[in-house]
Amino acid sequence: MNWKRVSLLLILLLSFSLSAGWAAQERLSVPIGDSPVLGPAEAPVTIIEFMDFQ
Amino acid sequence: MLKEYDGKIRLVFKHYPYRYRDFSYLAAQAAEAAGAQGKFWPMHDLMIERKALDRQSLLGYARDLDLDVSRFTADLDSGKHLHRVEKDVQLARELDIYQTPTFVINGRLLVGFRTLDNLRKVIDEELAGK
Repeated sequence: MNWKRVSLLLILLLSFSLSAGWAAQERLSVPIGDSPVLGPAEAPVTIIEFMDFQ
Repeated sequence: MLKEYDGKIRLVFKHYPYRYRDFSYLAAQAAEAAGAQGKFWPMHDLMIERKALDRQSLLGYARDLDLDVSRFTADLDSGKHLHRVEKDVQLARELDIYQTPTFVINGRLLVGFRTLDNLRKVIDEELAGK
């Protein structure tokens, strides 16, 4: 077993799973602007809906 | 669902009409034209409920909502609110959103059709995290 190779593999795996974790936590920031809004501005949950009526 | 989560949800509407459907852009502009008279959400609900979105139907909805129909018609025919609609489309593209409906719940992206239970799950997680 080549230990250098194993540790390199481990580092690669680790960095990959870390970056995947970051991606999962990433949140989109969507400006509300003057779009139509229902509900209070201080609501703990904001749902932004992109919709086509047809 | 908004009533169920009374006061805990703020819903923001962004237009994302599909360019190649007949009435997508017209309906979006009709919603904005109603919004200019303070009735965006009633028009939103009516269009979803009655489904027909051709010009004649939209003018009928405007009448049923007691809008100033001549102003509504002028807005619709002049494309007065097209810019607002296109601004939303531009925003969606900048965010790499290419499907409707897409929901962004406290920044978490949910692409495509979702059941109410799907949405509830995310909303409940967000409320629990607060």
